[in-house]
Amino acid sequence: MANTATLGAAPEAEDSPATPEKPKGNHRAGELRSCDTTGLPICLVAQQFIRLNAVMAVVFLLVGGISALLLALTRWPAVHLLSAAWYYRILTLHGLNMLIFWILFMEVAILYFASTTLLNSRLAWKSMAYVSFGMMLVGAVMVDYFVLAGKADVLMTSYAPMQGHPGFYLGIILVAVGTLIAVGNFFATLYIAKRDKTYVGSMPLVTFGALAAAIIAVVTLAHGAAVMIPTFLWSLGLVGAPDPAWYRLIWWGLGHMSQQVNVCAMVSVWYFLATLTVGAKPINQAVCRGAFILYILFINLASAHHLLVDPGVGAGWKIWNTSYAMYLAVLASMIHGFTVPASVEVAMRKKGHNSGLFSWLAAAPWKNPGFSAFFLSLVIFGFGGGITGVTLGTEQINIIAHNTLRIPGHFHMTVVGGTSLAFMGLAYYVVPLLFQREYYARGLVRAQPYVFAAGISIMAIGMSLAGSYGVPRRHWDVEFAGAQFSAGFDPSAHVMLGIMGIGGTIAFVGLLMFILLTVAAVFFGKSNAGKAMTAW
Amino acid sequence: MTESKEEKVVDIVHSEAVDDPADHHAPGTFVLVLVLLGTFAVYYFANWKALADVWHVR
Repeated sequence: MANTATLGAAPEAEDSPATPEKPKGNHRAGELRSCDTTGLPICLVAQQFIRLNAVMAVVFLLVGGISALLLALTRWPAVHLLSAAWYYRILTLHGLNMLIFWILFMEVAILYFASTTLLNSRLAWKSMAYVSFGMMLVGAVMVDYFVLAGKADVLMTSYAPMQGHPGFYLGIILVAVGTLIAVGNFFATLYIAKRDKTYVGSMPLVTFGALAAAIIAVVTLAHGAAVMIPTFLWSLGLVGAPDPAWYRLIWWGLGHMSQQVNVCAMVSVWYFLATLTVGAKPINQAVCRGAFILYILFINLASAHHLLVDPGVGAGWKIWNTSYAMYLAVLASMIHGFTVPASVEVAMRKKGHNSGLFSWLAAAPWKNPGFSAFFLSLVIFGFGGGITGVTLGTEQINIIAHNTLRIPGHFHMTVVGGTSLAFMGLAYYVVPLLFQREYYARGLVRAQPYVFAAGISIMAIGMSLAGSYGVPRRHWDVEFAGAQFSAGFDPSAHVMLGIMGIGGTIAFVGLLMFILLTVAAVFFGKSNAGKAMTAW
Repeated sequence: MTESKEEKVVDIVHSEAVDDPADHHAPGTFVLVLVLLGTFAVYYFANWKALADVWHVR
């Protein structure tokens, strides 16, 4: 495309008279370093908050991961580990920690990175970053406390008229407002970068993707405020109960759109990891940016597919949103699903891997965990999550799948196999480049994406096939033990649930590998300050 | 990480918006996309078949 994006000059070149046309950063004295590996300028204030948010993300990932294992071993009928009360309690904990806390903390880190390092800008508001982080942390801890204390067994969706402790809703509100402040900080940083001309032309694509994620996040959090504040007041006894149908409609504006924030952030991470691992560049800026705009315009309407069997909304509304508008958002994912691997192919062919159709793919750096995590994430998201998502979102087909295990089978391939795996791949660069620490046991690190990807794929396939037999989601005992009449499922469904349990256990092993290796690197890893990271 | 003798990440980001039409040649990815579309078509219509099997139209 015609306009050229120019990153601000590297620090050592900022005052060089030979490059007067290059824009300068707007960093304060002592708040900038140049990355010894990538050459990118790193705002030290932003780096501090990227580190804080990344560490807390991993802590909540651990909480969510342990709860995931407990759930998998409960839904595996041969094991059936937890009691009914604890099953629903842990399910609530799992959803909130995995879908909200782990991902939101990572996304705030990504927003700070994309708006500072890639634009050669300082972070706009250090104090607001502290406020944001504090509110998110206090809110998340409150939520986990009230769930584990048995005062909010309402699942992640907390559908009214089920009611949790006011502290549970207050915790969610704190997390949401804290995130909104971080998003505001991101917008403010974009503003001062533009004002101070720290870059010229268009912002880099990764930052543009983060901007799309941030815009969707604002709409998402507006829905969150609209539904959670009245629910909080209801839990205090100050107002009447929210209408259940209204609650579901507005809640999914929060619940599903938050997952679209994840998709935008994940796609941005794909582009960035493609650059980091094989030196890829986006193959067409206009097309890639257009796809992000499609997300902003249409992804919110896709929330309607959660309401396809709700009687409170009409067939026309359902069909328009899920069979027309949603496909424009799907089109965006299909565009990225082409442009991301195509950028890798182009980069690899330029390196000489040019014979046949797939020599570029065979020669790709599969031992680099950043690459393998990113590419496996792409495949699992597209082939697993994308195909099932479009199918399940079709109104007519949804009637045979709604509220079965096929639904979590789908979103474990998008959010876990897709987003979480991509974020893990990103961590394999964040730790050496921003924490300036090297990983130990690099063989295990290289194996981790494969273990996790295999586990989550097996688990999701088991879930989807069990759901095809009608096995419901969010259900402690599908055999209805002690019931007055037989209400069990085909024995084949039990086999599928067993596959789900085995896959879940393998995925947990992969997740634990990631956490232990990352924690060991962050706190005990050999420093690489002042030199390039050890190549993967 | 890309090899040190190769272009640095900062330079790639610096020049990412310079579009070279020669970069639009990705035949392997095109085949992968066709495989994805084929997989989708099979899965999608298998689901319509499953729906037709349990929900008869008289």
